Amino acid sequence: MKQMTIISGKGGTGKTTLASNFIRLAKNHVAVDADVDASNLYILLKPNILKTQEFIGGPVAYLKSECINCGRCEELCRFDAISDSITDIKFDSLKCEGCGVCEYICPADAIGLKAEKQGEYYISDTVFGKFVHARLDPGAENSGKLVTIVRNIAEDLVYRENKDLIIIDAAPGIGCSVIASLNGVDLAVIMIEPTLSGISDFLKIYDVVKFFGIKPFVVINKKDLNEDNRQKIIKFCNSANTEIIGEIPYDERIPFNLANNTFAVDDTESIAGKEIKNIWEKIMSSEL
Amino acid sequence: MIISVASGKGGTGKTTVSVALAQSLGYCNFYDFDVEAPNSDIFLKPDINHYQKVYVKYPYFIKKEGVSFKACSDFCHFNAIASIGEDYIFFEELCHGCGGCILVGPEGYVREKDVEVGEISKGFKSPGIYFFMGNLKPKSMRTSNIQGDLEKMLDRSQTVIIDSPPGNSCNMVNAVKNCDYCILVTETTLYGLSDLKISIDILKNLDKKFGIIINRDGIGNKELEDFCRQNSYKILLKIPNDINIAKTYSKGGSLLEWDPKMKDKFLGIIDVIKEEVGR
Amino acid sequence: MKICISSTGDNIDSSVDPRFGRCPFFLIYDDGTENYEFISNSSRNAMGGAGIQAAQEVISKGVEAVITGNIGPNSYRVFESAKIKIYTGVSGPIKEAIAKYKANQLTSASGPSVQSHYGMGKE
Repeated sequence: MKQMTIISGKGGTGKTTLASNFIRLAKNHVAVDADVDASNLYILLKPNILKTQEFIGGPVAYLKSECINCGRCEELCRFDAISDSITDIKFDSLKCEGCGVCEYICPADAIGLKAEKQGEYYISDTVFGKFVHARLDPGAENSGKLVTIVRNIAEDLVYRENKDLIIIDAAPGIGCSVIASLNGVDLAVIMIEPTLSGISDFLKIYDVVKFFGIKPFVVINKKDLNEDNRQKIIKFCNSANTEIIGEIPYDERIPFNLANNTFAVDDTESIAGKEIKNIWEKIMSSEL
Repeated sequence: MIISVASGKGGTGKTTVSVALAQSLGYCNFYDFDVEAPNSDIFLKPDINHYQKVYVKYPYFIKKEGVSFKACSDFCHFNAIASIGEDYIFFEELCHGCGGCILVGPEGYVREKDVEVGEISKGFKSPGIYFFMGNLKPKSMRTSNIQGDLEKMLDRSQTVIIDSPPGNSCNMVNAVKNCDYCILVTETTLYGLSDLKISIDILKNLDKKFGIIINRDGIGNKELEDFCRQNSYKILLKIPNDINIAKTYSKGGSLLEWDPKMKDKFLGIIDVIKEEVGR
Repeated sequence: MKICISSTGDNIDSSVDPRFGRCPFFLIYDDGTENYEFISNSSRNAMGGAGIQAAQEVISKGVEAVITGNIGPNSYRVFESAKIKIYTGVSGPIKEAIAKYKANQLTSASGPSVQSHYGMGKE
């Protein structure tokens, strides 16, 4: 079994477009949407949800009995999550990381930790195979934990149903949810647009991928946007011994296909779709 | 007054809009809260005159015969330390720097050191833009520490523009929770609409005023505009789907460089916001 | 003597799960009394260090041997220091794995069989 994650430091570079088309082309796979706070894969895959489960996030501190206003917890909290502890103690659940220091230190045993529902995750059937996805509650924390859960479930499915590939659509950025999407995968497909901001974010995510020892494949999207920047990317990849596995041209058929709920790879008029097919074949024939 | 510029979906033009707002205003404080992938410096081109490092305190453990770190391992809520007899394994990337292991561990054998997790660059762009940008170090997951330090630098007495990270998680909340008004940038695709709805939920929960800017107007479908109309959400501006905007952007050029007339439109938006916020 | 098998499910008809740290359940089986219990792997959804936590949990149940598909370097290290025998490369129904173990048909591992998930643990 192999796992492939589609990432890009910058948002909106075409991760979900590439992922959905890969899922359309793959034969024996499970799909994962690891962008749990802004998931979009469901739009094209049209899942039929088979099983819904609650996501219980990490615990946060709360006042379980009367506070003696000693101020010890506020002094020791490293996350500024406790305020007014010598008058009328308040906990900021957004800042609290659930480390348990306040609970441990409280001389009156007045502080507890509790975990609450922070979203849902789903196992679904689609025309294109099994699909594991989630919805983090708006504004919630612990997206990395939710990503870990959906990936574990996808692995269960792969073993149970004798599949051989997991395709993971990741969130933008380089933080905890992205790291949870990369942890232990075999291959990272990095999407990059030839823009200055795209290059800046690419260099950061490239660093993360290399650090994890994951094989990177680079895909340049909207390659004709800026030739100077395209050359910069090619030069960097050559010197870093990293393969550019494809270059997708700017193509107005991409939003057209999305608006019509169709896949670029099925659209004979889409030049981007043609290149995505090439990229898929190259990845499949590489030594994954 | 604090204006945050956010978007559930990535790459819809948050930085484009926030930079155009700052350039139109000329005098304001600008904060880039997208610390995992900050880019506003590329477009605003400020003179950076100071780098402030962001540190987190991480523990280190001193091995000695007869000393076990089992208490630390039992306490740690993040599985950052495992204890096997007198042996231990520390996972720095899982550590949140809470200091719990020092409280519970063998006295004197658990100590702390400052570890850099990123930095904040401060700069200035004439005529009067004060610039603050957080930048998380790759491999670190301490996004909230960088945002927290940026938050301490917010000056509510000024006109403040905050460029938010993409998404609808806690990182986005950190960028909008202090604002008086939030501009949501989106595009008229089904992806844009799906993510916009979640962002609106967050803003409503926080009781924030907001308006919408549609970018790459003309692509995709009508659903988004119908949705805004049905719910009476204000559309502040539509930016056309023009390949020349994308090309200007690719070189680090702003919307005002693409078309100087955009300045008046953005100043008009500021007026609308001021009226809504009531100052 | 108690042994532990990584399991895909919580009943005796389940299969050996190929993952140690991230399997859903552990079977704790006593080959003397033939008593057994399934425990759910509470470390499974930890973002990192799952193998280590799982290994520590299993050790606390008093097992002397572990049967699984693959094991990473961190869990391997924990078991090795606790002098617990590790059998890797095992797949198929749990019942068969037990039978093979009893018939001495499993070969013990001389090192970790997969890379660490996190790969960043240090001391």
